[in-house]
Order: sequence, then C-alpha cells, then structure tokens
Amino acid sequence: MDEEASLENYFDHTLGSSDFHFEGDLGLQGSAPQLQDSSFLSSLTSREKDLTEDLDLSFLPDELSTQDEPPQAENDSRNEDSGVYTDGPPRDSTEGDTDTMNLACPLDLKSIALQARNAEYNPKRFAAVIMRIREPRTTALIFSSGKMVCTGAKSEEQSRLAARKYARVVQKLGFPAKFLDFKIQNMVGSCDVCFPIRLEGLVLTHQQFSSYEPELFPGLIYRMVKPRIVLLIFVSGKVVLTGAKERAEIYEAFENIYPILKGFRKQ
Amino acid sequence: MASTSRGDSLPKVQCPNHPEAQLVEDYRAGDMICPECGLVVGDRVIDVGSEWRTFTNEKATKDPSRVGDAQNPLLNGGDLTTMISKGTGAASFDEFGNSKYQNRRTMSSSDRAMLNAFKEISTMADRINLPRNIIDRTNNLFKQVYEQKSLKGRSNDAIASACLYIACRQEGVPRTFKEICAVSRISKKEIGRCFKLILKALETSVDLITTGDFMSRFCSNLGLPKQVQMAATYIARKAVELDLVPGRSPISVAAAAIYMASQASAEKKTQKEIGDIAGVADVTIRQSYRLIYPRAADLFPPDFKFDTPVDKLPQL
Repeated sequence: MDEEASLENYFDHTLGSSDFHFEGDLGLQGSAPQLQDSSFLSSLTSREKDLTEDLDLSFLPDELSTQDEPPQAENDSRNEDSGVYTDGPPRDSTEGDTDTMNLACPLDLKSIALQARNAEYNPKRFAAVIMRIREPRTTALIFSSGKMVCTGAKSEEQSRLAARKYARVVQKLGFPAKFLDFKIQNMVGSCDVCFPIRLEGLVLTHQQFSSYEPELFPGLIYRMVKPRIVLLIFVSGKVVLTGAKERAEIYEAFENIYPILKGFRKQ
Repeated sequence: MASTSRGDSLPKVQCPNHPEAQLVEDYRAGDMICPECGLVVGDRVIDVGSEWRTFTNEKATKDPSRVGDAQNPLLNGGDLTTMISKGTGAASFDEFGNSKYQNRRTMSSSDRAMLNAFKEISTMADRINLPRNIIDRTNNLFKQVYEQKSLKGRSNDAIASACLYIACRQEGVPRTFKEICAVSRISKKEIGRCFKLILKALETSVDLITTGDFMSRFCSNLGLPKQVQMAATYIARKAVELDLVPGRSPISVAAAAIYMASQASAEKKTQKEIGDIAGVADVTIRQSYRLIYPRAADLFPPDFKFDTPVDKLPQL
C-alpha cells in the first residue's frame, strides 16, 4: 500500500521505545498462523490451530505441530531458491519464519478490522484479526491483548521488518503500539539432495526416529533428536526441515541427514 | 484338570499292582483307572462335564447354566464380583412396574470404559469379519494403552479403532485406514493420529505395508479368479521392484495392478469398481496405471493366459 512509505517515516520518528527483547516466550501458545498466501512450507509452524475451514490443509502431516489440529497449506507456490549444484550437497533455502511479538497495548479488534485494509475478523471462528501485507508478503494474527503472530516471511530480517510494519499499521489506527519481545518461533527450510531416496530402507534402519505411512502421507517424517528438528523426506529427494529457532539448526540438521540419505540412494 | 502330572505336592495315587503305570482319568465317572489292569484307583474326582445336556433351540431363553460367562482374567483384572440380574416372573416387579432390586451397580467402575471399548472393538471387528486372534490382540493393545494413560484425552473409540488397525498390521493381515474408517465412526485423520501416538506410547513399530497384503482381499471382493489375483500380485511386485511407481501408496499400486490384470483377462473390471473396493479414487488408479502401462509386457507373469493381448490393453 502507498501508505507504507509515509508510515516508514512516521514510524522512525514516533516509535521511540523499540526495545528488542529477544528472550522470553510471549505465551502466545494458542495462536495459529495459517495463511493462504504464504507458501505451504512457511505455514508449517510449531503452534497451530484450525483457522479457516476453507483451507483444506490436511495434506501435510500433523506431527509437526504440538497441538491437536494443525492446518497445513496445500499451496504449491513456493519460491524455492534451492540452488542445486550437480555435484555436492545443495544449499537449503529458508522458506518461512514465524515470529511473535508484543504490541504492549490492548486493542479493539473490531475497529482495527473495520478501519484497516486487508484485515479479516470473524470472532465466532477465531478471536484475532488476520491482517496481510504485500511487502514482504506476510500474514499476521493480532490479538486483543496486543500480542501478535506474524508468518510467511522469507528471512529473519524480512520477518522483523514485517512485524514492524504491522506495528506501524496498528499505530496508525490510533493505538499506542510498541515493538516489544520480538522473537522468532519457527523456521522452515527446504532443499533438494538431487537423487531419489529409498524411504523403505530408511524407515527400517532408523525406526525410532522415522515414521513412514504411505497411506497417511507420502513423505517420511524424521524427528531428529539433536538438533530437535523435524524433517520431511520425500522419494524425489526433496527434504523439508522445520522446527528450528535458529538458522544454524537447520544447517546442522541437514549436515546430519545428508550422509544418511546418501546411504539410501536409489541406484 | 486334564493334566495328570500335578507335581510332588499332592500324594500320588498309584495302582497297587502297577505303581509305575500312569493313571488315566475318566472324567465322566470321576475315576482314575489303571490302564494295565483296569483297577479303579481313585474316585470322586470332581466332574468337569456339564450338568445337563443342552440342545439348541430348546427354550433357548432359559439357560439353566449356573456358571455364567467365561472369565476373561487377562483383560478385566479377574474380578469375581457378582451382580443382581434382571428379575423374571411377576414377583420381581413392584406395583408401578419397576423392577425391585434394581441394584445393577457398576461392577467395576474403573474398567467400565475399558469394557465399553472391548464391546466396541468386538462390534467393529465383527463388521469386517476379523478372527478372534486379532480381536484378542486389539483388546490387549487397548488395555496397555489405557493403563498407560498417556492418551487419556483421546476418544476411546478412536484409540480402539487405532488399536484394531495396529493389531491387523501386527498379525500380518493389514487393513487400510479406509477399511477401518468404514466400520468406525472416527475419521481417518483421527485414527491416523491415534495410531502414531499409540506406536510412540507403546514403543512398538509395525512393518511397512506391501502391495501383496491386500491382493487376496481385493480380488475376492471383486470376484476375480485365482489366476488374475496371482497375476495382479506379480504385476504389483514387479512394478515396485522396477521402481516404476516411486512415491505411490501401495494401495494405489495394487489397485492399478488389479486393473491391468483384470483387463488382460476375461473378467474385466472398471476402474470405478476397483476404486470402490480398494478405497482409492479412480483418478488415482488412472495415475498409477499410466506409470505401469509402458512396461506392461514385462510386468505380467510368464505363464499368464491373455484374453486381451498386452498391446490391446486400454490406455488411459
């Protein structure tokens, strides 16, 4: 929106106290960012709740969540920059970050929903306003307590920038919003090992970590213990890693899994 | 009762003439008889036969048996409580028509849920004609899960359905989730979730499903002859070996193999029919069929009698 540029200046001048508290969970455990626009990978978050029924998100497996009903997006529009090299393990691309933050002031969701563009609010279904911005393309859930969950950004910086933009929007609507306790809760990455994988062999040898049920989900769900990351491994050689709080965890998990996958390459 | 070797705790009765002889029990008369000379050595052994003969259809409502149902000690904690049953005859009803002695209290309140679950398991298994061993295994699994209490929040029916699924898998005759769904009121999603939770809770694992596990059932339900069934099994196995269908669910591959085999034989079945039986969509069968069609000639068993030759197989 064209307001964004002017909001930038507004923001820089007015929002004085932007303490970036990185520690502490916000207690936004119950919220579930599930968005149509973001790629399906970015919507594999650690906390989910069934937001909208029209998103039939049952395609992906459930255990990626800690809660009961995680919605998963089936949207295939992932801008995956997998950077595939022909010889050698390719790099991941970070697909999605989910973060939470605190605006530190109680909000009137109805007025936000009425005044802001790109905001939806259906209190009977879910107790938060769902707001979307186009640049960076993200979706945020804004709760009446002032807490906010933002999903869909492609990198940590973008995630932070998006969160600030939402704070700005809320501030423009007349609430004394602040930018507190920004914390990244989940990061998702995807990559391609460029060779087909024998999932049956992998599940036989790594039984205590793997779960492969072709009836339920076509990929193998590998729960790595250290670092605590869940990997979805597919026959094509594509791997999705999720559950990380830091970028380094994703890389470490991939370094751990790559030799194992090489051992189960299909000839 | 039938064992004659009770150990050294009891005084052993022996035939005075043949102390080495192993005595034979005649339970009808309650005797112990020496096989060598026929002497009746011990008598008044407790008779374990039934008290009276019962014939079918002879006043079936009045069962005079005084021992009741068989005990199930493994599962119920072996309680020996009794309860007052519903009265018969006019005297057991008071003036309002209510029965006197209404005390049919919970015999085991803590296990009531478990008994309910067993009943539900039995009903579900009966719908798909599962044998007793699978039902017993399911009950055992349910008991273990129930006692562990790690899945306490989940609906008991969901856990029961998932236990049924696991038991079928463990016995080597897996049923698809959709088949279990068909006899249960729980959704496939919930059964799948409970299934994974139970495996984690009990720290067991199950074998991966293969295409061959379902062939005999699907083919018999479709009424296909044995030759076609064997051909379909061979086709599916070969297709997986040659890796023509990577990433496809074994059920879909099995369905496509059955389609190919039936189309090559005299008993042609449509994709819709096979899809109904197998629980796969007919587009899914079409997809898998397209993958195996190019190598159709290699997939058939060598001794198969073609009613429709390979090049005339339908191409979808």
